[in-house]
Amino acid sequence: MKVNKISRDDLDWKIAYRPDRCTLCGKCVAACPFKSIEVGVEKRRKVISDHFTPEPKIEFKTIPVIRQKVNEYEFCSGCGICERVCPNEAINPERNSDSRLGAKYRATVADPYKRGGRANLSTGERTLDKIRVGRISQMTDPSLDALRHTFDMLAPFGRVLPAGEMPFDIQNGKLVMNDAPPKVNWIYPIVIGDMSIGALSWRMWEAMAIATAYLNEECGIPIRMCSGEGGVPVRLLKSKYLKYTILQIASGHFGWNRIINAMPYMQELPAGVLIKIGQGAKPGDGGLLQAKKVAPHISEIRGVPKADLLSPPNHQGLYSIEESVQKMFLSFNAAFKFQVPVSIKVAASSTSVSVYNNLLRDPYNIVGGFFMDGINGGTGAANEISLDHTGHPIVSKLRDCYNAAVHQGKQGQIPLWAGGGLGQNWNLAADAFKMMALGANGVFTGKLMLQLAGCVGNDKGKCNACNTGLCPVGICTQNPALVKRLDIDKAAEHIVNYFISTDYELKKMLAPIGNSSLPVGRSDCLIYEDKAVADRLNIQYSC
Amino acid sequence: MGMFGTEIEIEGSAPADVGWLNAGADIVLKGDGGDTTAHCAATGNIYVSGRTGTRSGALMKDDPKFPAPEFWVLRKTGSFSFEFMGGGIGVICGLGYEDKDSVMGDRSCVGMVGGTVYFRGKAKGLSEDVWVMDLDENDKEFLKEGLPRFLKKIDKTDSLETLSDMSQWKKVVAKTYEERAVKSLIPMHDFRMERWVEGGIFGDIIDEDYYVADYVETDENRLKYPEWQNAHYSAPCEYNCPVFIPTQKRISLLRQDRLQEALELILDYSPFPASVCGQVCPNLCQDICSRKHVDIPVKIKELGQLSKTVEAKGFDAEQKKEKVAIIGSGGAGLTAAWHLRKMGYQVDVFEQDSVIGGKLKQVIPNERLANEVLETEIKRILDTGLNAHTNTLVDKKKFKEITDNFDAVVIAVGAHIPVVIPFEGHERLVKGLDFLKEVNKGQNPEVGEKVVVIGAGNAAMDVVIGAYEMGAKEVTAIDIQKPAAFDVEIEHVKKLGAKILWPRYTDKVTEKGVHLKDGTLLEADTVIIAIGDRPDFGFLDRDWLTEKGLVKMNEYLQCEGNNKVFMTGDAIKQGLFTHALGDGRKAAINIDKMLQGRKLDNFEKAPVIPQDKVKNEYYHPLNAQSVSEMEAGDETMRCMSCGFCRDCSFCLEVCPEQAITRVANADGTFEYISNPSKCIGCGICAGVCPCGVWEMYDMVDKMMES
Repeated sequence: MKVNKISRDDLDWKIAYRPDRCTLCGKCVAACPFKSIEVGVEKRRKVISDHFTPEPKIEFKTIPVIRQKVNEYEFCSGCGICERVCPNEAINPERNSDSRLGAKYRATVADPYKRGGRANLSTGERTLDKIRVGRISQMTDPSLDALRHTFDMLAPFGRVLPAGEMPFDIQNGKLVMNDAPPKVNWIYPIVIGDMSIGALSWRMWEAMAIATAYLNEECGIPIRMCSGEGGVPVRLLKSKYLKYTILQIASGHFGWNRIINAMPYMQELPAGVLIKIGQGAKPGDGGLLQAKKVAPHISEIRGVPKADLLSPPNHQGLYSIEESVQKMFLSFNAAFKFQVPVSIKVAASSTSVSVYNNLLRDPYNIVGGFFMDGINGGTGAANEISLDHTGHPIVSKLRDCYNAAVHQGKQGQIPLWAGGGLGQNWNLAADAFKMMALGANGVFTGKLMLQLAGCVGNDKGKCNACNTGLCPVGICTQNPALVKRLDIDKAAEHIVNYFISTDYELKKMLAPIGNSSLPVGRSDCLIYEDKAVADRLNIQYSC
Repeated sequence: MGMFGTEIEIEGSAPADVGWLNAGADIVLKGDGGDTTAHCAATGNIYVSGRTGTRSGALMKDDPKFPAPEFWVLRKTGSFSFEFMGGGIGVICGLGYEDKDSVMGDRSCVGMVGGTVYFRGKAKGLSEDVWVMDLDENDKEFLKEGLPRFLKKIDKTDSLETLSDMSQWKKVVAKTYEERAVKSLIPMHDFRMERWVEGGIFGDIIDEDYYVADYVETDENRLKYPEWQNAHYSAPCEYNCPVFIPTQKRISLLRQDRLQEALELILDYSPFPASVCGQVCPNLCQDICSRKHVDIPVKIKELGQLSKTVEAKGFDAEQKKEKVAIIGSGGAGLTAAWHLRKMGYQVDVFEQDSVIGGKLKQVIPNERLANEVLETEIKRILDTGLNAHTNTLVDKKKFKEITDNFDAVVIAVGAHIPVVIPFEGHERLVKGLDFLKEVNKGQNPEVGEKVVVIGAGNAAMDVVIGAYEMGAKEVTAIDIQKPAAFDVEIEHVKKLGAKILWPRYTDKVTEKGVHLKDGTLLEADTVIIAIGDRPDFGFLDRDWLTEKGLVKMNEYLQCEGNNKVFMTGDAIKQGLFTHALGDGRKAAINIDKMLQGRKLDNFEKAPVIPQDKVKNEYYHPLNAQSVSEMEAGDETMRCMSCGFCRDCSFCLEVCPEQAITRVANADGTFEYISNPSKCIGCGICAGVCPCGVWEMYDMVDKMMES
């Protein structure tokens, strides 16, 4: 051992191993995809004396053990699969609070530390958790009953015209529509997505698509899923289920050749088009798919060879907001003959309000929504520095955009959708409700779907090895040996069940404030116990 | 809130809440009731001759200590009636609403958990918490008894006949707790198979069976798989040995009590096990021996000595017609001859000197290489039936004759021209090589009392030894750099009393001794220079040589000047005897290949085993003293058998899935096999294997490549 050699104490996770409980069944070493543990042998040597006078006696044993690998490439990610498969509670990863891996890795490899998952620094209580619904309809106005009442839980995806601008004429004393208004799809206020084929395994992606179809067809929950920027399977494009899919286009334009060529064969129109400009988890970066995950089918569906696939940080043809409106929006609106609404997604930023203000002018009525993604969003792969240190929290930014629209009297015209770490504490209904009360028309969610499907990662640095291609649960990998672990039916079922619960829970929040429709802008029902935050969000300060 | 004994009769209609919390009263409402009529009624009877509003009968209950509440309505109720009803009886006669689509408005019976609601006519929008059923005999009896009572209370007895047609009635009862728990959603698997895109949306680009693997799997679904790869790696000793002698295999034979085979094995590599391995070789094998990580290296040198008197075997192969000439009878030449003879070739050895043996014989002090041992081994070689021509100088003419008459030629002339540096007084120098040759021939060359040896390599150390033998009292070796001689040699001469100084730069040599460039004088009666020797290639054409005077050759040891001429030993580059032996063996093997028309070998070795694959944890360290007291044969206990299965069956015993079997082959060899249908790819076999024979392969990478 030398000073500069990496040691166990430098790693994020230490393997706690109890040889007295281990039967060497081999399950942990067989299951760990990171090769972070291995079998070895250890010496046990003692020279003792058990006589009345000194009489050396050597006790010597060699014992097979499980041990941790200590290097910059095969370090334990803390996923805990070893613990899951151990029949004897003999092994588990333990967080090392003294970790120096961030320094050791960079110092040894001379490359930015990359990983996937989520930001790991913001582990404290979130603003959203501290916002409470503090205005309950009681003596002043009737509350509703979540069970008995009908709730109108639909959010607009598409450009909403104010009444005065609707193309109505009065002819012979009757109201007649003399032109088609912009297409608006009224959908569930939670959109699944947008995670690409490539970032996700084909089983995971298909499980989400199945869950989406199931929720629509069997449960009456009109949820939509956004494809992400990794192409869309031709079979889905040609199926009736395309109507539940929002197609994404991002700067890499991956897979659009197949989408365009499938157009003549589409039975249904897609639910929308979402132009991705930025992503909350790594603002300023384009998509990044590590070569390790570019399996043959990914190459095929994206139309590129095996390599690190980097989407540029910008759409190469865009230089200004005006241009983006004219080119991207017009092109995609026109592509589907103005029957499919087109929205845009950006990473939340200090400048988001300016962008939104500009979009709100929208002289052509073609901007179908403004999706904003906050710093707590997820990613399949990013430089850690982006994940942890760049981005903007979503709550106040969403609020600012909503207020800006209100200021112009244009709220609701270009629907606001917010995401980035929603459902982080497992309660998506509460987060969605609060975001809507602050002004969102709807929200979007990604990582939570993966966690429902079996992802073992969390926001405190557990696993988050989505970039390695070695996802231990078959979700963020293209490797058949690992993808096989994911049960596509169970994954879909858990997502469906979660949304059935969420749907009920949303109603349980709508009922006490007496809203039978979505509470967009009902910030009067929110309270906060910190004055500064309450003032910032313009909600009631309570203590 | 009337109790038993209370009777209330209302002429005409009433606003909301008639019969609210009724606790036993008989209430007759001769008109319509408002919202929440009979709300929370718990016992008693409520008779309504008209309609009632929304949420009528909501939260009705049945306390077992009291008669069940009854709520009779002649016409209809509003929406949300009988919400959360927990017990009691509601009767909705639907009179006059036979054509309407509901006698209970919309969404009645939400949250209903108990009680019964009889209704006549239709009902729509009932909640999913209830069943709608036909009447059984008890129900009919109840209505037949109750209807006249009800109609009499409200003075509508004329409707009795209309209402008595039991076929027009139905009842609503709550689902039981168990019935409610049943989910009616289609299982996800069925949805995927029956309603989802056929074959899956990726079915056209990925082969997918939707099999769900466990974290721990066998066969193709394992993440890793093991292979027993005996001798896949070189053992360090074998790797470091220029003759490629696999000591681990020798010891393995010893371990199996196949002593004779073990001693003979070495002769497949070197005809000088006792002389070279056992005496002059610095034993590079031992320098790298894995055992040094436990205590001290295996005593390979001593093992070599054991093979001194082993008889030559395997020389009974059919004699081939091809003839090979070997120029030089040193280590390289004799080794080539040995192997060629073994392969059945006719071999002629040409030696310039009067004796066979080259420098082994000519210059190595008896102290380092006992003459008797060398003679024994040389005899063993000569006895294989080669033709030795001593006192035969090979010049250009002779060389041409040889190349014309032989099918292959080995140049093993060694290096016999001593290098001299032309500083002032260099003519006073005694050349080390000449000096040693004279010593070994018993010519007793004269030396003074004080001797300085210029040079401190291995040859110079031999010169130091020779000088002491010849009577010198004080010998000093100097060098311009750190002495190149092996530590063991240096230690040896130091014991004799020699001094070794470095860096020292010679300025000139006079009768006083050696004058160094720093002005000091090393007094000497005799100064001997031993800084290396060069080969004499006078018998070769100039264009066979490089500018530096070395022979142009390829990686197969073939001369560029003539492909059937092979280079070996010091004639290539001055090295150890072991290097010369190695070259001799390589040349012999490649000559055989050439003559048999096969591709020549560049003798790339298998990679040396990574040290961490050899598990030194199995071995208890022994102290140096006990090791030195052990017999060489007992080294079987210390050799760690790097990369070579010691057949301990640890893997077989430790495998948690009992996947490993040992297979004995007909030829006496054996192998261990892991059964893929049992193996989970845990890597325990590889992790515990003392020798590093089991190797794990990554299925994850493999599948990615496919």
